[in-house]
Amino acid sequence: MISESHTNNNLSEDSLDTLILKIAKYQSKQAFIELFNRVSSKLKAYAIRCGANQADAEEIVQECLLIVWRKAPTFNPQAASAITWLYTIVRNKRIDFVRKQRPDLIGSYDLWPEPESEYLEKHVESDLNANIIRKLLYELPQEQRQIVFKVYFEGKSHSEIANELNLPLGTIKSRLRLAMKKLDTLAKENMSWLIIILLMNF
Amino acid sequence: MANYHPSDELLMSFSAGQMPNALGIIVACHLEKCSHCRQRAALYERIGGEILMDTDDAPMPTQLLDNLLSKLELPEISATNESHAISVLDSFADSERQMIQNLPRPLRRFVGNEFNKLPWTGMTSSLKEFVLSFSDNDYTAKFYKISAGKELPEHTHRGNEYTLVLDGSFSDKAGEYHQGDFILADKRTIHQPKAANDCDCICFAVTDAPLKMTGLFGRMLNPFLK
Repeated sequence: MISESHTNNNLSEDSLDTLILKIAKYQSKQAFIELFNRVSSKLKAYAIRCGANQADAEEIVQECLLIVWRKAPTFNPQAASAITWLYTIVRNKRIDFVRKQRPDLIGSYDLWPEPESEYLEKHVESDLNANIIRKLLYELPQEQRQIVFKVYFEGKSHSEIANELNLPLGTIKSRLRLAMKKLDTLAKENMSWLIIILLMNF
Repeated sequence: MANYHPSDELLMSFSAGQMPNALGIIVACHLEKCSHCRQRAALYERIGGEILMDTDDAPMPTQLLDNLLSKLELPEISATNESHAISVLDSFADSERQMIQNLPRPLRRFVGNEFNKLPWTGMTSSLKEFVLSFSDNDYTAKFYKISAGKELPEHTHRGNEYTLVLDGSFSDKAGEYHQGDFILADKRTIHQPKAANDCDCICFAVTDAPLKMTGLFGRMLNPFLK
């Protein structure tokens, strides 16, 4: 259990999950400031790598953190970790930022409507799974990881990536397919073999 | 439960937020009906979270923190299209509302207030279409309605055609497709879809290039296609 008195002591050691829970429970500005210090430069870097200029990126970050403050009570660490939750917020803000003046265009609320109760997932994300994801992502060969990062940051089609890297389209497709295949092991329910391999590597 | 799903490449691109167009809407519609793909899309969001935290820092000016703190207590100003779509729903009778509620939510805002009187246009007597407003230069989004028991002319595609079955079912040489199924047809696909006998089949299709008819009857039709 977290308590407000605790927020005055070990703030710097709090996980991002705990900071968001403190914002939700106590409207703790201290936790908010700590969260700002820990993630705002990441959120801004993401927006810039996706193509925003400095000023727009800073506006996107501010809008994101206001959403965090207002929607913290909806954060459910059993359903998604803090970084996944923050990622979906900045991703959606980035999409909507360029559509501010055009409500006729598709926005993030069209692609990810607020869930109706029957669609709520029972899926639980554990710390171990998060570690596996991090490890697998960084165990991808550099050439595969580079393409995955281009998908996330630049939204480039396979043929655009091929032109940029001066590689045949088939190579890009096969590298991405290999990366997906490797990442695919994560989604398998029976991952005990993978956990054993990873634990042996620690 | 759907039997045909978007590829992982599509799901990754969707979760990366790099699909804010008609293709994104059709993937979102499938996800609403498919817990399997929702789990996979969630996995790609988690990878997005890891990538977010891996980026090099781009420090924020400290005065922006003060600026933010001063805004925390301000009331939220929000008027989303989502709430507009819900209020449109309220104006319908129960039976109409039921029909609209069967539509995947990502589509409701775009067709909600005219779903019962969609101005279908005839491509042939057995195939009607309705072009959706969010088509753009890259992707055309349409509803197709194939009359019960009718078979379309054999055709192939100039590019990719992504189809989601909204109501009824259809089949071709490769399989039988029901509500929620997501099918990709491309240049290599030559098929002749046939609606099941029991009811009309309504599909939501997104294409990045128009159809190309291959059979004799199909070739006669082709010049009229946009």
